[in-house]
Amino acid sequence: MHLDDVWLRYRRGGPWVLQGVTARVDPGGIVVVLGRNGAGKSTLLQLIAGVLRPTRGRVNDRPAVVGWVPERFPADQPHSVTGYLRAMAAMRGLGSAAATRAVDEWVHRLGLGGFRDVKLPELSKGTAQKVGLAQAMLAPPDLLILDEPWEGLDAATRDLVPEIVLEVAARGGSVLVSDHRGETVRLPGAATWTVADGTLTTAAPETGQRCVVEVAVDAADLAGAVARLREQGHHVLRVREEVGS
Amino acid sequence: MIALTRMRLHGFVRTGRAVAPLIAALAVLSILYGGGQAETVEAYGVSALVAFPVLAWQTKILLDVEPDVQRRLARVTLGSAAREIAAGLLAAATAGLGTIAVALAVPWVFGGVKGDASGVKGDAVSILIGLAVHLLALGPAVALGALSSRAVTRTAGMGAAVLVTGSVLAIVLGLQGSPAPWLVPPLMAATRLTTSGGTTRTALTLIAHATLWTAAAAFAYARLRRNRA
Repeated sequence: MHLDDVWLRYRRGGPWVLQGVTARVDPGGIVVVLGRNGAGKSTLLQLIAGVLRPTRGRVNDRPAVVGWVPERFPADQPHSVTGYLRAMAAMRGLGSAAATRAVDEWVHRLGLGGFRDVKLPELSKGTAQKVGLAQAMLAPPDLLILDEPWEGLDAATRDLVPEIVLEVAARGGSVLVSDHRGETVRLPGAATWTVADGTLTTAAPETGQRCVVEVAVDAADLAGAVARLREQGHHVLRVREEVGS
Repeated sequence: MIALTRMRLHGFVRTGRAVAPLIAALAVLSILYGGGQAETVEAYGVSALVAFPVLAWQTKILLDVEPDVQRRLARVTLGSAAREIAAGLLAAATAGLGTIAVALAVPWVFGGVKGDASGVKGDAVSILIGLAVHLLALGPAVALGALSSRAVTRTAGMGAAVLVTGSVLAIVLGLQGSPAPWLVPPLMAATRLTTSGGTTRTALTLIAHATLWTAAAAFAYARLRRNRA
């Protein structure tokens, strides 16, 4: 899928939100979209998802099955969790049995089992966000677009997001993820697109794949341990107190 | 597309938003039939005219129930803007058929119309004519309601302005001697046909006029919605 000289503004005569964006995502590719608040990350993702149409230029070769997880799941709807997911599965063209299987799989996988019959407006923000993630995965997407997917999720589900991303990529699907919390360190090997002032700067994945290792050190030796890791060329991302010790 | 149509109808009913237009329809019908018994076909002609703004309002309410982000999700999930747009119009038309069924039944339940002198067969013909004249109003009403929906007009004020202006113009420009009756759906002409009579050719012309108006307004709605997900 590729964007050819894409320009977008929301109204005639208004300011350009995106200008001359040209980029490409290959099958199996993972792209992290970065940029400050209001830079146009969500706009770019909605263009790629097919929600918005470019004012100029084209988005070409968009895959048939697109899964989009919006930044905020629209929970103000009168459906139960399974009622909503079944309706979305039907919209995907899944038959009754296939829809039931897909809904059961993702309800189980995302820990939504206890919320099957709960109405969407009664869900917490994080649980609603899980429903948003589930609806995007009911049919295996060829293009998965995650707009700030870690917002409001519990630790277990935050760990599950990279797993899902890697699964989609391994199947040959493309994945775009926006993030402003630094969570995308969980996606080593991803290309980065940076949106700033309406333009897009792309960077290929780093050649040496990097991973994140969580290490517990004695509090008394914290400064020394951090210094030694840095001396050895490692990138210390953050230091936090161990919970539950 | 049918799945999305069902989902939108479900939302319309389950949120209770279907109640307000139903009450409005019943209020209008009770005023219409409250003055005594009328000739069935004539009464249905006026009923279709007064049902027009109710059906348009009902369409706006139905389309506005769904949160904006869910509407966008539906577009991505279906993979087609055209099918997402069509599903909304289909849901509104289906809900409109329910309201029309109420409008056709109410005068019989409350004795608002005189039965046909020729008996059941005559009554059946009157009901069929009544259905036809209400269906003539349904297409334009759905199109007008869609044009006033939040996805197009963005604000509640603009939505109300489109809905009210469209409904008023449909009556004013439909009056006899109007300089531009073709600009609005032929609601007034259809009412005149049921009260004063007319030829089959006149009826077919009105059907063609209403169909063309509906198609033009629905096309305008679809064009506007292409860039307004």
